[in-house]
Amino acid sequence: MSWQPTALNASFLTLVGWALFLAVFTGRPDLVMVAIPLVVALALGRRPTGSALRIEHRVSDDRLLEDERASVTLTLHADGPVPLVELLEPLPPSVRLERGRAHAFFSLRAGEELRWEMTLRCAGRQRLQLGGPYLRFWGPLGLVAAEARHRAPQTVAVYPQLTPLRHLPRPLRTQTFVGNYVSPVQGEGIEPGDIRPFAPGDHIRHVNWRATLRLGTLHVTQHHRERNADVVLLLDTLSDVGPGGATVVDLAARAAATLAGAYLARKDRVGLIEYGGQLRWVKPAAGRAQLQRLLDTLLDASVVFTYVTRDVDLIPPRILPPQALVVALSPLLDPRFVRAATDLAARRFDLVVIAVSPVAAVRAAVRRGRVADVAARLWTLERRAQLDELRRTGLTIVDWDGVEPLDAALASLTRRRPRRVLAG
Amino acid sequence: MIRLAIATLVVLVVGIPLAILPAAPISWLAVAAAATGGVGVLALSVSLVTASATLSLIGYALALSWARPDADPVVSVILGSALVLVLALTHFARRSEGAMLGPGVMAGLIRHWLAIVGFGVVAAVVLTLGGVVLSAALVGASLPVVVVAAALGAALTVAGVIALVTTARDADAPSRR
Repeated sequence: MSWQPTALNASFLTLVGWALFLAVFTGRPDLVMVAIPLVVALALGRRPTGSALRIEHRVSDDRLLEDERASVTLTLHADGPVPLVELLEPLPPSVRLERGRAHAFFSLRAGEELRWEMTLRCAGRQRLQLGGPYLRFWGPLGLVAAEARHRAPQTVAVYPQLTPLRHLPRPLRTQTFVGNYVSPVQGEGIEPGDIRPFAPGDHIRHVNWRATLRLGTLHVTQHHRERNADVVLLLDTLSDVGPGGATVVDLAARAAATLAGAYLARKDRVGLIEYGGQLRWVKPAAGRAQLQRLLDTLLDASVVFTYVTRDVDLIPPRILPPQALVVALSPLLDPRFVRAATDLAARRFDLVVIAVSPVAAVRAAVRRGRVADVAARLWTLERRAQLDELRRTGLTIVDWDGVEPLDAALASLTRRRPRRVLAG
Repeated sequence: MIRLAIATLVVLVVGIPLAILPAAPISWLAVAAAATGGVGVLALSVSLVTASATLSLIGYALALSWARPDADPVVSVILGSALVLVLALTHFARRSEGAMLGPGVMAGLIRHWLAIVGFGVVAAVVLTLGGVVLSAALVGASLPVVVVAAALGAALTVAGVIALVTTARDADAPSRR
């Protein structure tokens, strides 16, 4: 670590120079006496002081949900006396300091230990990189300083907030594994179906005694099977608008995380396709580990600019099974995504488009005013007309403004969509 | 609180020339110095405080040369010490603005600053006493004698520094055996 003179030396030298010049000019010894404390300060204040400091940098959590808090603790241990040390923990703009300060000065005696703690509130989904604090050791008068960086790279994954959902889009087709959807196929289950005459091999506990007494012969109650479904979340990362931390991709990622959590809780297999500059996907699977995989993928979802249009044909069937319910989350700003969604619907995929409105996100990013109000209203009308046109082509679209709860937006869809299940 | 301390020191520095000679030109310089210093205190700018101090020094020199009082080392040392403190304090206030100050930081800094100012005072006293002794020893000496004595002292100082530097380098050098 090298000690460097600071700009304060220039101020001291200016005053010394003026005092000596005026002393010679006026022939007064008093002005030489004025310069003496300044010269002594320049001589003594430029001595390097102690810099023997050990730092332990600790972050309370490495995984958080949006708006949760993490505390960063720095323990300073001085091996020798440290008259003045300045510490600065650089924080990204997406993090708010809730308690404590990210900039501090400390003075430590030899062997002394100090704890410096701050609480951070993580505003949006991100991989928060904390690299460790910058250090600046100061001479006693601030005439010399030495800089260093304590490198302690730590990453905190801030996942999208999961909100409870009651109105989930029901898949039209179910799969072969046990789940929560009532299949039309008869078999083992708890949902009663048709009644038919008793046949050899039927369980006695399935006998419907009421029908048997009325009809005079043994009848049994059949049951519907409960099956799960494949759900594929199709996230549009071709375009993004809105203020940092609340862009349409952030809103869509939050909605995707919520949907993934809700479907996985219903024992469905959930997959994810990030349809953007880079085509990334997670194969449909069930369980808690899958939720973690999906959240990790959603954390990195962002717009990657490209002129290349990737067709949905590129996606292998094991990632996008034909029987799956596809939930597309998109602001519908990029015609390439609209084309892909129309293509999927034309190929008889069970598709639900959650159209994340970019109007509110853009309004939050621009200054309020009459022109902005009129522009927003016009844009809303234009967008409504676009959605109506897409609905006429056969797309099922849920309009979500990103402000109201997703569950409220999905409630209207639950009323409109048919409850029948087509195949087992 | 730190701004108040800096403002007090600026008032002290600006007020000393006025105390020596409350004349109009000195007052105008003092007003300019106070205004510059005031803005410097508000903005915590070392440059503006330095400019204010420079104006005060000019005012001090003018007051001394017009009023022609006897040399007063106490006031001079107070002025010099105040200048050291005002610069150190402004610089620290500027860089620590909005930062957290750990326990004992201010107390430790003030202790260091006062120690350095104390060394300055001691050096000023020693130099003043040396001057008094020299003036007593050189009573009746002509200007050439004083110049020769000063040159001899300067030559001895340079020789001492060269000797010090050379000794240190020899001690660091590896053995050539």
